[in-house]
Amino acid sequence: MADAAQSKPMDAHIHESGTRRDFLQIAATVVGGIGAAIAVWPLIDSMNAAKDTLAAGAPLDIDLSHLQPGQQIVVLWRSRPIFIVNRTPAELKTLQESQVTGLLRDSQSEANQQPDYAKNWHRSIKPEFAVLVGICTHLGCIPEFKPAPGGDLGAAWPGGYFCPCHGSRYDLAGRVFAGVPAPYNLPVPPYNFISDSVIRIGENPAGSAFNLNSIEQL
Amino acid sequence: MTGPGTQSQSKLVRWIDYRLPIFTFMRHELNEYPTPRNLNYWWNFGSLAGIMLVIMMVTGIFLAMQYTPNVSDAFDSVERIMRDVNFGWLLRYLHMNGASFFFIVVYVHLFRGLYYGSYKEPRELLWMLGVIILLLMMATAFMGYVLPWGQMSFWAATVITNLFSALPVVGPKVVGWLWGGFAVGNPTLNRFYSLHYLLPFLIVGVVGLHLIALHQHGSNNPLGIDRKGPQDSIPFHPYYTVKDMFGLGVFLIAYAVVVFYFPNLLGDTQNYVPANPLQTPPEIVPEWYFLPYYAILRSVPDILFIPAKLAGVLCLFGAIGVLFFLPWLDTSRVRSARFRPVFKWVFWLLVIDVVALGVCGAHRPEGLYIIVGRLATLYYFIHFIVLFPVIGWLERPLPLPTSISAAVTKTSSGPLAAASSVEKR
Amino acid sequence: MRAAIFAGFALLALAAPAGAQEAAPLPRQSWSFDGPFGTYDRAAAQRGFQVYEAVCSHCHSMHLLHYRDLAGIGYNEDEIKAVAASKQVTDGPNDQGEMFQRPGRPADAFVAPFANEQAARAALNGALPPDLSLIIKARDGGASYVDALLQGYKEPPAGMKMAENMQYDEYFTGRQIAMPPPLAGNDVQYADGTKPTLTQEAHDVATFLAWASEPTMEERKYTGAKVLIFLLVMTGVLYGAKRQIWADLH
Repeated sequence: MADAAQSKPMDAHIHESGTRRDFLQIAATVVGGIGAAIAVWPLIDSMNAAKDTLAAGAPLDIDLSHLQPGQQIVVLWRSRPIFIVNRTPAELKTLQESQVTGLLRDSQSEANQQPDYAKNWHRSIKPEFAVLVGICTHLGCIPEFKPAPGGDLGAAWPGGYFCPCHGSRYDLAGRVFAGVPAPYNLPVPPYNFISDSVIRIGENPAGSAFNLNSIEQL
Repeated sequence: MTGPGTQSQSKLVRWIDYRLPIFTFMRHELNEYPTPRNLNYWWNFGSLAGIMLVIMMVTGIFLAMQYTPNVSDAFDSVERIMRDVNFGWLLRYLHMNGASFFFIVVYVHLFRGLYYGSYKEPRELLWMLGVIILLLMMATAFMGYVLPWGQMSFWAATVITNLFSALPVVGPKVVGWLWGGFAVGNPTLNRFYSLHYLLPFLIVGVVGLHLIALHQHGSNNPLGIDRKGPQDSIPFHPYYTVKDMFGLGVFLIAYAVVVFYFPNLLGDTQNYVPANPLQTPPEIVPEWYFLPYYAILRSVPDILFIPAKLAGVLCLFGAIGVLFFLPWLDTSRVRSARFRPVFKWVFWLLVIDVVALGVCGAHRPEGLYIIVGRLATLYYFIHFIVLFPVIGWLERPLPLPTSISAAVTKTSSGPLAAASSVEKR
Repeated sequence: MRAAIFAGFALLALAAPAGAQEAAPLPRQSWSFDGPFGTYDRAAAQRGFQVYEAVCSHCHSMHLLHYRDLAGIGYNEDEIKAVAASKQVTDGPNDQGEMFQRPGRPADAFVAPFANEQAARAALNGALPPDLSLIIKARDGGASYVDALLQGYKEPPAGMKMAENMQYDEYFTGRQIAMPPPLAGNDVQYADGTKPTLTQEAHDVATFLAWASEPTMEERKYTGAKVLIFLLVMTGVLYGAKRQIWADLH
């Protein structure tokens, strides 16, 4: 490059009349830096959920009047499967038996996987209706509904959920068995009975502020 | 072996620089790079163009996260960005008006080059790379305008792609190939989206070459005379870095006023109507930065055996093509119009001519607009092909100053107070 | 030299073609949302929404608006749920594979009067009422144009031949419009008690439609003020720095 040899910079970068120059230069750099940071925020925020996405995650009303005892329906709420089961009296009795609770890792629901109003032996508001997030707490597959006792899951099988991916098992209250890969009970989402037969998934009863994001693990 | 000037830097800097000499490179190209001391504010527009390129690419990438390039969803996806995406309206308006401001900056940068003879030896390739950048920008902007799939998007795409049918023999086949179908439709939209995302990266590459070519011989200056010694130049940093930042501040104020308060000033209301292939809008008008070329395209009548459509297309591409040859069309040995009294006059005629072409391009080709459009088109080509060489031969330029520093010290009020000691590193 | 330039541009201006029956120039109007500090008059926008619901929505869709968006003109959550629930929305398919109707929810888009373009044309003598979500931005003159148009219906002047099923409106391009006059005054009973004259209704519905075309306008202008103040400060500081650094060269 022809000019390299003559590039003796006539460079007035000397800190003599220093302080005012330094102040201006520092001020300019700081203001510029603030500007750059402010400019970045809209870019990042634009990647957050948009208003229509948030609206699509609004509470969902489900009418349970046609759900027969022993039946399960699966609905999608916030892109996740929600199991709703109408448990028979026999199934409810099984949930409390010691030979079943003895098989479980967390029979008292100590781990934070449910709202306060579901921290009981049936893990729900009304005992007959179970409302569970249908995602295995191991690696995220959707467990199969196997309510019938015995069968090919063994004579000791009380009825519940079986995850085909890695063999995790849960009872009909979503409580995880000991000795299976899954570490936690199936989560219970926020929900509320807005009438005798209609539940609203995504809304807590009055007095509770449960947020599904606060649980141990989905 | 550390590069020059890294001794005073931290160990980390030296460790990196030894393996990948970016710090030495930055020091050489920014801190030490000799720049003429007499550059005026018309020299800010190159860096402004670079910044606009970055703004367009960044806003574009974030818009691309939310846009759907399918004819049934494109228009609505843009409105979803405007209404539902956090700061989506800002991203959209920045990108939409950014295209206009990018062209404003680049046109000023181009006319600066014309006025001061920046295209002349030894900067011919620098200039030609710039023209290539302009062409790539025009292609990118054209395809980008199609993406919202409004009425103007669709019909501008139809008109411009139809131009290629003017090519003899292969015309209609080429058009069908461009469309990917029987008309502008979903295949067209999708390929425009893909290419619109690609081309800016090509622009970045050509800008890189443009900067390498620039650094070979350094910037031109308003006097158009070469630097003769260190007294004629100053280091780029901090002088021109701070001047460029200040210029950027002024520019951003103008940009912000438009984006936040007049975001649809430069646009067309018709593009807020979803594309309808069965209904042509009353006027098909391209964006303002294409208007002069559009006027040239429509002005040209049948010429000899060449039908008007083909002649128009040839003149359209010729209008940009002629720019490549400027270094050789201009026969003057004086660069800057400051010392070329006739050329200076004629330069302003060109500016008026281009504005007149733009006005003609915005109106239907009827009545007076046809006459003015044709005269202005004729003048445009005469200006470059005839006036450039002839004025170069016949003009008597004003006497040039002996050197840049001589000219600067003559005009400055006080004695040259610069300390010429090299900063110890 | 300068005179020549001006003469040239004046000639260009005169060359504008005068179309037969060009629309009348719009009367000057000022709107609450004009200018850098403009805002949407909430009360007017709510009245305008009432007019849209009562009159316009029978023919015109607004598919880019959702009921939840009405919070932007001051409706609260309960009011929005009530408005949405009063509409029947098509949903499905259900477990039998059929589409069904259900009450609306805030997340739903505004219900359209016709299922598709063909249904609209069949019901309206071949005319297609445009979707109104963006109408203010899609027309030169914006809100002033829509306001004037709604009040611009008149008897056609003597000698003017009207095409079949067309009405005379002096502000519409070509002055012949397929839409019969939608408003005559007293078309709604305003919830806030304002007198529903034609002028008031036109003004209110234009305000509502302006909001609908760009709900984020207030945020845009407010952000702009903050950005401009910052830029002015930053540019001032940079100017000072530039002068300082260049001082010893002059």
